[in-house]
Amino acid sequence: MRRMRGVRLAAGLFALGIGLASCASDTQPGGDGGTSGAPAPSTVKVGLAYDIGGRGDQSFNDSAARGLDKAKSEFGVEVTELEAAQGETDAQKEDRLRQLAESGHNVIIAVGFAYEKALSAAAADYPEAKFAIIDSAAPEAANVANLTFAEHEGSFLVGVVAGLKSKTGNVGFIGGVNTPLIQKFEVGFEQGVKAVKPDATVQVKYLTQPPDFTGFNDPAKGTTAANGMLDAGADVIYPAAGGSGAGAFEAAKAKGAMGIGVDSDQYNLPALANVKDVIITSMVKNVDVAVYDFIKAVKDGQFKSGLQVYDLASGGVSFATSGGKIDDIVPQVEEYKEKIVSGEIQVKDTK
Amino acid sequence: MSTEPPGGEPALAVELTGITKRFPGVVANSDVNIAVRPGTVHALVGENGAGKSTLMKILYGMQRPDEGAIAVNGSPVDFHSPADAIRAGIGMVHQHFMLADNLTVLENVVLGDEPRGGLGLDFAAARRRIREISEAYGLGVRPDRLVDELGVGERQRVEILKVLYRGARILILDEPTAVLVPQEVDELFGNLRDLKAEGLTILFISHKLDEVLSVADDITVMRRGTTVASVAPEETTARKLAELMVGSALPVPELRESTVTDRPVLTVANLTLADADGRKVLDDISFTIHAGEVLGIAGVEGNGQAELVEALMGIRKPDSGSVHLAGEDISRLSTRARRESGMGYIPEDRHRQGVLLEATLWENRVLGHQSRRPSARGPLIDRRSARADTQRIVETYDVRTPGIDVHASALSGGNQQKLIVGREMSGNPVVLIASHPTRGVDVGAQAAIWDHIRRARAEHLAVLLISADLDELIGMSDTLAVILRGRLVADYDPGTVTPQDLGSAMTGAGRDAE
Amino acid sequence: MRTLSARSVLLGLAAPLGALLFAVLVCALILIVSGHSPVTAVDSLLTSASRPRTTVNSINSAIGYYLAAVAVAIGFRMKLFNIGVDGQYRLAAMLSAALAGAAFMESLPSFLRVTMTVVAAMLVGAVWAGIAALLKVTRGVSEVITTIMLNAIATNLVAYLLNPDRLAEAVPGSNNISTRPITEGGQVPGIAIPGSTSALFGLVFLAVAVGVGYWFLFGRTRLGFEIKATGLSESAAVASGVSVKKMVLLSMLLSGAVAGLIGLPQLLGSSHSYALDFPPGLGFIGIAVALLGRNHPIGMAFAALLWGFLDNSSTSLDIAGVPREIVLIMQGVIVLSVVVAYELVRRYRVRAEQRDVGRALAIQKSPEEVSV
Repeated sequence: MRRMRGVRLAAGLFALGIGLASCASDTQPGGDGGTSGAPAPSTVKVGLAYDIGGRGDQSFNDSAARGLDKAKSEFGVEVTELEAAQGETDAQKEDRLRQLAESGHNVIIAVGFAYEKALSAAAADYPEAKFAIIDSAAPEAANVANLTFAEHEGSFLVGVVAGLKSKTGNVGFIGGVNTPLIQKFEVGFEQGVKAVKPDATVQVKYLTQPPDFTGFNDPAKGTTAANGMLDAGADVIYPAAGGSGAGAFEAAKAKGAMGIGVDSDQYNLPALANVKDVIITSMVKNVDVAVYDFIKAVKDGQFKSGLQVYDLASGGVSFATSGGKIDDIVPQVEEYKEKIVSGEIQVKDTK
Repeated sequence: MSTEPPGGEPALAVELTGITKRFPGVVANSDVNIAVRPGTVHALVGENGAGKSTLMKILYGMQRPDEGAIAVNGSPVDFHSPADAIRAGIGMVHQHFMLADNLTVLENVVLGDEPRGGLGLDFAAARRRIREISEAYGLGVRPDRLVDELGVGERQRVEILKVLYRGARILILDEPTAVLVPQEVDELFGNLRDLKAEGLTILFISHKLDEVLSVADDITVMRRGTTVASVAPEETTARKLAELMVGSALPVPELRESTVTDRPVLTVANLTLADADGRKVLDDISFTIHAGEVLGIAGVEGNGQAELVEALMGIRKPDSGSVHLAGEDISRLSTRARRESGMGYIPEDRHRQGVLLEATLWENRVLGHQSRRPSARGPLIDRRSARADTQRIVETYDVRTPGIDVHASALSGGNQQKLIVGREMSGNPVVLIASHPTRGVDVGAQAAIWDHIRRARAEHLAVLLISADLDELIGMSDTLAVILRGRLVADYDPGTVTPQDLGSAMTGAGRDAE
Repeated sequence: MRTLSARSVLLGLAAPLGALLFAVLVCALILIVSGHSPVTAVDSLLTSASRPRTTVNSINSAIGYYLAAVAVAIGFRMKLFNIGVDGQYRLAAMLSAALAGAAFMESLPSFLRVTMTVVAAMLVGAVWAGIAALLKVTRGVSEVITTIMLNAIATNLVAYLLNPDRLAEAVPGSNNISTRPITEGGQVPGIAIPGSTSALFGLVFLAVAVGVGYWFLFGRTRLGFEIKATGLSESAAVASGVSVKKMVLLSMLLSGAVAGLIGLPQLLGSSHSYALDFPPGLGFIGIAVALLGRNHPIGMAFAALLWGFLDNSSTSLDIAGVPREIVLIMQGVIVLSVVVAYELVRRYRVRAEQRDVGRALAIQKSPEEVSV
C-alpha cells in the first residue's frame, strides 16, 4: 500500500496543475507577453535587483532605492524593482537579472556583491543592456559598471570623531555580519580612533556569522551587544549593522552614551527619530548617489564600464554633521579628510 | 425467546426497546431489548465485540441509536450527550479509571463539577457530602487522601463515589472486576449490595460468569450485537451462560495427561533486580522449567512479573543471577540472541510490545523474527516468504482477517493475539514465555490460545505462563508458583489448589497460615 | 484487498490535493484582499513554467530539497527530529569544497576527485549528526535540542574556517570570500537543456540514487525494517530484540550522511566554491518537503519539485507586480494544511479499514447466523 502513496501525490500535483491551467484560460489578453524586442535606444527602462531585505531595510537597500526614486522623478524613467530571497542560489539571482533584461530593461542595477557570478553570466548574453553592480569589482565586462565605496575612509573619519568625543577613551564597533565588507568599516574606524587617541580601546563585536545574515536586521541583538560594550566602559558606539543599529542606539540612549550612524545620515531618518539625539554623526555611504549617477550617465549616453570607486575624494563617502553635535571638532575632522584625499594618510581596508 | 423479568409493578429503571445502531457497513446493535428493574443488579454479559459497549455508550448518551427507544424510570428519553444522561440520573464507571493521581480524592470527585461558594470553591461542603455518601453506602472513602496512595479497589470506590456525587441513581459498571483480586471483588460486591439496598439500580457488564451469577438479580446475554436471552441466576449455570454467549460449547482451561519430562530447559538461578531506588523488584528468584512443563506464576500485578519476564528476555539486565537455556548460559545474551536461540515471547501488553499497530500483518509477522528465515535472508527482508508464512499463520491459527495487508490495528484483540502466538510458535522455539496470553480476548480466541499452549507443551516446549486469571493458571499449569514483592513465596499443586488459596497467597495473607 | 487499494489511492489523493486546493484558495483570497489579481499571478506562474530556464532552475533547486527531505525523512521514520540537517550540509559542503578545491587534488583523475568529495561530504555530515546521536544514546539528550545547537556551532565553525588564514581565500576585487575554486576536473558537468542558459545539475543522478537507496533501505532491508519498527513502537521493537540505541545511532548517521550531500549538486555543478553566499536553509526546507511528501521516496520528489518551482517563479510574480511573498504564504499554508489533511485522512482510513475487516468477517460468518 505504501507504494501507492507517491503515485497518489503525483496525481494530486497533476490535478493541481490542471486546476491552475483552467483558471488561467480566461487570462490570455492583457499579459504583456514574452516578446521583448530590442528596446528603443532612446527610452530608458531601469531594473533594480535588491539584495536580501529589499526596500525598507533602513540601510543599504534603502539607500539604493533613494537614488532610484530620485532618478525616476527627475527623468521620468520606467522602473522595476525586484527583491532577493533568503537562501537563493546564483542561478536564481541570474534568472532575476535575465528576466529584467528579457522584459526590455536596458539599465539594470544589481545591489550587493552576491550578484557577482549571476551578473557575469547574464551580462554576456545582453550586450546592449547596461549593468551596474554595487560593492563588487567583479565581473569585468564591457557593459558592466562596478560601483564600489571606500567605506574604510569614511569610517576613519567617524573614528576620528569617536576618538575626539570619547571621554573614557573606550569606543565600540558593532558589525552586523562578519564579512570582508563590514570588516572594512571596522579597520578604518579603528585606525581613525587610534589616529587621535593612540591608547584608546576599540571593542569589536559582530552580531552574526554568515550565512546567518540576520545580524543586519535584528535590533535586539544590537541592543545586547551595545549594552555589553557600554558596561565595559565604552561611551561611543559605531554600529555598522543595518537595521540592528537602531537597537544599539536605544542602548546608547538609555545609558547616556553616543552613537554613530552608518550608510545614511541616520540623524535625519524618520524611523530613528526617537534616538536621533544620540547620533552625533554618520558614516554616509552614498549608494543613492552612485545609483542616480549611473542611471543619469546611461541616459545621457555617458556609460562607463569598469571600476568606479566612490571615496572621500569623489564625495562617495562622507561624514554627517546633522544635529550640530560635532560642530566643535568639524575643522579637525576636515583636516584628516584632506590628509586622506591628498594621500598623506593611507587608510587600510583589510586587517 | 425473551423471558420478561418477573415483577415489574413499579416503572422499570431502564427499558431499552428495539435498539439498533448501524455503523457504515456493520450493525453494532440490532433489535436490543433490555428491561432493568429498579433496585436490582442487572448483569449484561457477552463476548468481546458482542455489542455491550456500544449499547452502554448509547445508554450513556455517547452515541445515538438509529432505531429504538430508551425509557428511564418509565418516561422516554433522548440523550444527546453524557450530560443528558447524568441529568437523568445515569452514571458510568469506566473500566479504566479516570482519576488524577496527584490530586486528592476530594479534588478528583469535584473535578468538572466544582462546588461554587461565593468567589471561591466550597470544599467544606463537598467534603461533607463525600463523607455522607461514603457512609451511606459503606464505601469507606476518605476525602483528603491522595489518589496516588490508593489501591486499585479503593480507586474504584472513588470512581463509584464520583458518580454518586453527581446524583446518579442508575450506575453502569463496565468490567469492574477485571482489575481486582478475588478479595477485592468480594468487597466490591458487598458495596453493590449496599447500593442496591439503598434503592439504586446497577447495570453490571462482565464476562466473568461466576461473578455475574453471585451478584446479579437478572442477567441479559448478548451475542453478535443483539440480546439473545434474559435469565435469572438461579435458573442457570456458568456453563449454560457461556454457551449462550458463544452460541456453542465452551472451552475449559485444562491439561490432559502430563507431558512433563525430567529434561530441564529453562533454569533460572538467584535472579535479583533492583529498581532505580534500590528497591528489589526481583529478589533471588530461582526455578526450573522442564521440557513439556507449564510453570504458572500467580501474583497481584506489579509484584515483579513484568520485570521477571523482561529479565528472562534480556530486555532488562538483572543485577545478579543466571539464566540457562538447555544447559547454555544465556545470561549475557541480547534479546535478539535469546530469541534466535529459541525463546518465544508473548508480551503482556499486546499493543505496546506485541504488535506494530500501524504496520501490516505480514510486517508484524517479521517483527522479532527479522533476523531469521523465512522473514529475512541475510541483511534483506524476504518479503515473499514472509508473506507466505504470514498466510500460513493466518490459516493455521485462525486469525480472522480479510488479508495480510491490513494494519494490525484493524483486527480485534483476540485476532491480534492469535497472530502473535502463531508468530512466536514459528521458528521452532524451545521455550515459550506467555504473559497474560488471553487477557482481553474473546472466548473463542481464548480457547484457541489455550489449545496452542497445550500443543506447545505436547511438543516438549518449556512454557512459563503468567496470568491474572486464576482459573487459567490453575487449569493450564503443571506447577504453580506465587510471586509477591519480587519473591517466589509459595508453590502449589494445580490439582488441589483453589483460587481462594492463591488469592490469599498473592496478597500475602496466606503466608502466616503456611 | 483490491477494494482497499482502490480506496487508498483516492484517499491518498485527497490529502495533498485538498491541501493544495486549500492553499491556492487562501492565496487567491489574500491576493484579492490586498488588491492584486490572482489571475495575473496564475498567468505569470504559467509563463515561468513554460520558460525552460525556470524549469531547469526549479529542478536544480528540487535536487537539493529532495536530498534534504530524504535526510530528514530517515530521522522521521524513527520519530527522530533531525533539525540539524541544515548545519550538517553547510559544514559538509564547506569542508568538501575546501578538499575538492585543494591544489593536491588537481593531479587526480576526475572520477576519483568527485568520489572523494562526495565521500568526504557524507562523512562530515554523518560525524556532525553523530554527535547528536551519541549525546542521545549516552546521556538521553533530546536530538531536537542538540541538533539546533549544532546548527549554531556549525555556522560559527564555518565562519571561522572560511577565512583567508585558514581554508578560504579572498576573491580579488570582491567583497565575497570563498574556498579555493574547484577546477574543472573536480566539477560535475551539467546537462545542457535546449532553450535554457542553466544546465541541469549532473548530480541529479546522485539524488535519484539516494531516493532509490532510501526506498530499498526501508522497503527491503532488515535495518530499514528495524528503524521503521522502532519508530512505530519503541517498546515493541525492544521486545523484538531491536537495540534502540543502535537504531538511533545508525539512523542519525545515515541521515547526516545524506545531509552531507545536499550542497554538492550546487557546489560541484554551479558554485564551484563555498562562498559567503552559498545557499543556506535547505535543511529546513527539507523538513517541509518531507512532511509534504509523507517520507515517501516518490512523494518527496514531487514535493521537492513543487517547492523548487514555487521558489523559482517568485521573480516572475515580482515582475508581474504580484508580491513575491505570496510564494512563502502558499508554501506555509500547504505545509500546515497538508499536515492536518494527512491526519484527517489517516483517521478516516483506520476507521474504514476496521469497518472493512468487520464487514469481511461478518460475511464469512453469516451462514451460521440465525436471526433471533
